[in-house]
Amino acid sequence: MNRRVKGIVWGVILVILALYPWLFGIYFTNVIVTCAIFALFAVSYNLLLGYTGLFSFGHAMFFGAGGYATALALTHIEGCPLLVALLFGFLGAVALALLLSPIVARLAHSAFAMLHLAFSMLMYTLALKLRGITGGEDGIGGFPIPPFRIPGVVSVDMTDPLNFYYFAMAVLGGSLWVAWFLTKTPFGQIIVSVRDNAKRVDYMGFKVPQTKAIIYTLSCGFAGIAGSIYAMFQDLISAASFGIAQSFAPIVMTMVGGVISFFGPIWGAVIFAVIEELTTRYTERVQLVEGLILIIVILFFPGGFIHLAAIVKGKWLGFIRGQWFGSIKGKWFGKQ
Amino acid sequence: MNILETKGLYHDFNRLEVLFDVNLKVKEGERHAIIGPNGAGKTTLFNVITGTYAPSRGGVFFKGDEVTGAKPHRMVRLGMGRSFQITSTFNRLTAFQNIRMGVLSRRGIRFNFFRKVDKMGDITRETDEILKRINLYGERDLPASALSYGKHRSLEISMALATDPDMVMLDEPTAGMSKDETHYAVELIRRLTEGKTAVIIEHDMDVVFSLADHITVLHLGTILASGPPDKIRKNKAVKDAYLGEMEG
Repeated sequence: MNRRVKGIVWGVILVILALYPWLFGIYFTNVIVTCAIFALFAVSYNLLLGYTGLFSFGHAMFFGAGGYATALALTHIEGCPLLVALLFGFLGAVALALLLSPIVARLAHSAFAMLHLAFSMLMYTLALKLRGITGGEDGIGGFPIPPFRIPGVVSVDMTDPLNFYYFAMAVLGGSLWVAWFLTKTPFGQIIVSVRDNAKRVDYMGFKVPQTKAIIYTLSCGFAGIAGSIYAMFQDLISAASFGIAQSFAPIVMTMVGGVISFFGPIWGAVIFAVIEELTTRYTERVQLVEGLILIIVILFFPGGFIHLAAIVKGKWLGFIRGQWFGSIKGKWFGKQ
Repeated sequence: MNILETKGLYHDFNRLEVLFDVNLKVKEGERHAIIGPNGAGKTTLFNVITGTYAPSRGGVFFKGDEVTGAKPHRMVRLGMGRSFQITSTFNRLTAFQNIRMGVLSRRGIRFNFFRKVDKMGDITRETDEILKRINLYGERDLPASALSYGKHRSLEISMALATDPDMVMLDEPTAGMSKDETHYAVELIRRLTEGKTAVIIEHDMDVVFSLADHITVLHLGTILASGPPDKIRKNKAVKDAYLGEMEG
């Protein structure tokens, strides 16, 4: 795609998103906010898995940390502004990541994965047991959602779902853009090199643990933003957001969407939102359907949706150019 | 002047002594070959010098400063490059991206979050120049894993040189190559190490005698002999331990 086509595609997507609430109503507007939250969560996860080769079973703890930090800020700080609450969410996750990074940045493979499982279970238990702070099983809910205010200029009521939609999409979209840009920088080049061959990165003059610690912290920060928006969107955060299911959501979305591409996890989030929307009309066994799809993807399309799309596109282009037909002819009738 | 010197270097793996009082001296600007039978400790010596692990005793001196136990990235920044016996590239990255890592490293571009790397024209130009010099420009956008064996080895060697080191350590650069590929690799190494110091582990005696200005023979973890090629060829101890075994 050249620059112009890309510009047009993104323009169309922006216009559709801007008009979306009017076109599809408030129910589907809420669906897409949830979807966008998980898209950012999955993309933040893929910065570790797809880009740096770090497999984690506990990414939810940063989502949860972001959510709790925002919820606590809004509950306890009188008149806490919206963006400050968001900042608390981001910093909450970053603080947790900085705390863990001296340990985890020297690990890889299963040790990295399992340690995250352990830490996230610890966070889950803490969220349940520290009732005074976290509200135990009930979580923290019913905190005030402040308006988006630039003093003297504008004040927008965020309890209105329509306004919140634009706020959430701006924050999530902006975060996705920053994450995407990050993968294009020299630093983004270094992290994929760490994925391919960490030893050689060291022998090219780069510090591997420091590189890992930085991308880890940034990834967790993005997860924290997703968690923060989620808490404000639901006006509730509970221990479940530290749970295993929450940790597996980005893994599954990334796998199904495609680990090889930046946009794979976004597609994964969209695919799961659609599946959930469709299956809940017929059955409550959403996970059954999702599980089946995951099995099919792993068995037949290990590159995920993005990979499948590339194959289909290649076939289609080949078909248009007659190559596909030619190859079929060759296969069936022998080469002339 | 000696650019690299090891003084009384010992290394053991769980008390199995692999290096035993190694005193290696590499002069600036020479091509120094290290030869020796399998298990002589050549790669271990490389690993200890380049920082894979610290020696159990003794010291490593690079450009006159003690660097014993310094990590690989530090050695690279001090001006020492290294290639590997078993090809060790970034396999999913393109040949271009592999070499670019070296160029970025040399320019100290590490934690840059504000510019797109593809838009850095001077980096791209410099990388392309290197690719042309090593005859890989035609394979510029192929992933490293898709290169032929010989080209993949060339990439491996060139990555060590892309950081523009003052001294480069090549661990069996021609390992597994065909006669033609070896011949080509020797020319490549000769060209790329022009004006630099090179330390080369090599099994192929033709390569050793055509490239090296100085040869050190390692045997059972210690230096058996060290000197110019002619002297080594005539050395009786070396003949008995190593060359003789190969020639007859």
